[in-house]
Amino acid sequence: MAKTILIIDDSVSLRQVVGITLASAGYDVAEACDGQDALAKLNGQKVHLMICDVNMPHMDGIAFLKAIRAHPAYKFTPVIMLTTEAGEDKKKEGQAAGAKAWVVKPFKPEQLLVAVSKLILP
Amino acid sequence: MDMDQVKQTFIIEARELLASMEEALLTLEDQTDPSESINAIFRAVHTIKGSAGLFGLDPIVRFAHSVESVMDRVRSGRLPLGPELIGLFLECHDHLVAKLATVLENAPEHPDCQKEGERLMTSLIPWLGASIATIPSVHPEVSPRREGGKDYWHISVRFPPSMFQNGMDPLSFVRYLRTLGQMVSLHSLLERVPTGDAFDPELCYLGLEMDLETDVDRKTLEGVFEFIQDDSRIRIIPPHSKVEEYLSLIQALPEEEHHLGEILVAGGCITPHDLEMALQTQRTEDSQRMIGTIFVEDQSVPSPVVVAALEKQKRFQDKAVNEMRVVKVAAEKLDNLVNLVGELVIAGASAQALANQAKEPRLVEATATFNKLVEEIRDNALSLRMVQIGETFSRFRRIVRDVSRDLGKEIELEIQGAETELDKTIVEKIADPLMHIVRNSMDHGIEPTEVRLARGKPVTGSLSLNAYHESGSIVIEVADDGGGLDRSRILAKAMEKGLVAAGADLSDAEVHAMIFEPGFSTAESVSNLSGRGVGMDVVRRNIDALRGTVEIESYEGSGTTIRIRLPLTLAIIDGFRVEVEGTCYVIPLDTVIECLDLGPFLESEENHLINLRGEVLPFLRLREIFALSGTKPSKERVVVIQYGEVRAGIVVDKLLGEFQTVIKPLGELFRNLKGLGGSTILGTGEVALILDVPQLVNLASQRTRTRTPILS
Amino acid sequence: MITFEHNQHTLRLWGDLTIYHAAEARSRLGEELARDPELEVDLSGIEELDTSGVQVLLWLKAEARAQGQSLPFTSHSPAVLEVFDQLNLAAAFGDTLLIAPNA
Repeated sequence: MAKTILIIDDSVSLRQVVGITLASAGYDVAEACDGQDALAKLNGQKVHLMICDVNMPHMDGIAFLKAIRAHPAYKFTPVIMLTTEAGEDKKKEGQAAGAKAWVVKPFKPEQLLVAVSKLILP
Repeated sequence: MDMDQVKQTFIIEARELLASMEEALLTLEDQTDPSESINAIFRAVHTIKGSAGLFGLDPIVRFAHSVESVMDRVRSGRLPLGPELIGLFLECHDHLVAKLATVLENAPEHPDCQKEGERLMTSLIPWLGASIATIPSVHPEVSPRREGGKDYWHISVRFPPSMFQNGMDPLSFVRYLRTLGQMVSLHSLLERVPTGDAFDPELCYLGLEMDLETDVDRKTLEGVFEFIQDDSRIRIIPPHSKVEEYLSLIQALPEEEHHLGEILVAGGCITPHDLEMALQTQRTEDSQRMIGTIFVEDQSVPSPVVVAALEKQKRFQDKAVNEMRVVKVAAEKLDNLVNLVGELVIAGASAQALANQAKEPRLVEATATFNKLVEEIRDNALSLRMVQIGETFSRFRRIVRDVSRDLGKEIELEIQGAETELDKTIVEKIADPLMHIVRNSMDHGIEPTEVRLARGKPVTGSLSLNAYHESGSIVIEVADDGGGLDRSRILAKAMEKGLVAAGADLSDAEVHAMIFEPGFSTAESVSNLSGRGVGMDVVRRNIDALRGTVEIESYEGSGTTIRIRLPLTLAIIDGFRVEVEGTCYVIPLDTVIECLDLGPFLESEENHLINLRGEVLPFLRLREIFALSGTKPSKERVVVIQYGEVRAGIVVDKLLGEFQTVIKPLGELFRNLKGLGGSTILGTGEVALILDVPQLVNLASQRTRTRTPILS
Repeated sequence: MITFEHNQHTLRLWGDLTIYHAAEARSRLGEELARDPELEVDLSGIEELDTSGVQVLLWLKAEARAQGQSLPFTSHSPAVLEVFDQLNLAAAFGDTLLIAPNA
């Protein structure tokens, strides 16, 4: 059974590129446009990994991270946070909230695939 | 879906982001709390940079990165966002737009564009302060010395106890390492798993000693542990390293030194003798140079966490969420849909006509239901093309800002009715004429500061854009509180150009309308913005082409309002059919006020005025206008039409009633015919001409003025 | 989801022995061990095993040894065998591993 990855980012094009890349590597991909959307879509279902932007409308990445770490089904789910060099402060906060995997934007699709592969293989 | 399509998505998305960035930049100064706007600007640049990276658009990435770095200082409150910086950001915005255009064309960046980018990036540097974003430096690659040892890497990891809580599992790293090469040996260190109650099942106690034969470089191997390096202990020893490297590893991990030594001996990295020696010399030689090893310890540097922006960020996001609920459709598809609906309307009318002829009640009923649905579809299809004018208005913030600075005038733009909707095709076509009018108002309308002060006006000139709906049209007003039009100067100029005869008695409206004549300009100095005598006549031509009208209301010394009236849509109208000499004409229904029998005339029939319940109403006969032969029927009918605030009567032979119709443009040959706005196809397949109400109203009232009626 | 099925002296584990259920597994397994000195653990129903699960099994084994019990683990499922293989754990547990013919 393929591993499911949820990508949460407000950029449609980013989600699409990441989606295509991951799907062609053999993962199942689900998308959400912000933290709230993601929580609604997750609804207790199992995902193997989440990729989450920090800077998002409505519910940003850090708030989302805190929410899922408090949720029994996602307490231990690996999360890759997407950030920029400018986001160091957020990174500290995010690491404390339970996300150690950070990928700096801009990245090439292959870079993200490598990061994902370190945490789960398809 | 392929990458090219995604690239299109990226471009659309980036454009929207840039539009919101511009809007935010321009409204920034008016806001008491600009943090939301600042966040919007930051997020726009940030997102563009992120997505551009995915497509390998390096020039955009680099440029956006510079902007983002400065913007981040603004966001964190380290840099105030003053007019100068706003100006620079606006230029950066423009440049991003230009860069995006080259992406669309799939063309390499033009040298000028490159130069502009470099210029802007240079201008950004002073704003970066000391925080010039550092790109992590790459470790210089140390070529492993070929001295003994084994030809594979040794990797030693002690995982952080908290790693499960962060969603990570040592297993996944092992699995991934195995994809990079051949795992020659792997030893799990389990001694740290406590016994009894001390065991916490949610903590990680595992350590690994691995020998990996692989072709990947050191950076790649380091990268495997990137996500846990902050609180793990990781050592990577390259192939062919000296025995000392391994020994220093043993020394660095004293808690399991004995055990580890045995593992290394078992793996063939060191001999039992080496191990013996190492343990003996452990204390004396501690500053061994570690070639090709990394030793990553907890590097957490305490730094103040800035969270303040978080809460505020949430509020401004509502708009972005709405965008998410919107489906983007190519404009072309919408146009096709509207065209098809137009054909459907005609086909429906045709079916209805046939059903009526057949006098079959059930058929009549069925077609009536059908046509009602068609009507709903029509309204829906048209509403899909309706867009708010606000976006067009917002663009003027930028123009007003830039132009007023160039002119050295202080001008404030006020926008009203931004949510007023009109057909997308009209919005696109009205932008240019509006631009001319706005520039004119700023250039010629609003006086220089000294003059304003002398006249006792506020220093800051006011320009307002307003839109609203009025009887089936949309009205767009551009108003300024400037000097107003100078009647005498316009008149003098008009005489000089031979547009009016000397001594002619003209109304204010007629004089004001002169500024729309070709080649007409009263500006004393020709600025680089307007005043070249082209523009206003083009404005009128453009508005005419949209079946719209333009009028001027101006008061000397206190300001000018230019009012543009446009139809809501170009494609389909509810029409009112009339007949003259056996030919069918269509009058747009929303201009029809009432229908009545002709007469009684006021004074005489020749002065073309009738008495409408005490009101003087000019009228004209279609058979006269179109020079139709034949005799008029004994009983003629009048259709009272209104355009703007003016009413007129149209005299016809017969009234045929309402119907829905699709406007088809007239061919080249008929383009210049006065009084006709288009054609349409009737249900019967006949062609009918659509009357141009604004022109007819105008014609009727003009004719009246030349023969001033005697009112008793 | 993890379930436990105690039959005679065999405790059979079903489902995922992962971090999500590590704490639950630890306490349940500890209780079962205390209750039955002749306990055997059947791992044939385990669909997913991660490092935390491995640690729980190791801890259980050590607890049993400390109490003088042998506590054999039997019928390792393919998922368990894969993890034992990845981390080279066979020796640490010391149980007989049967390679299933179709594995």
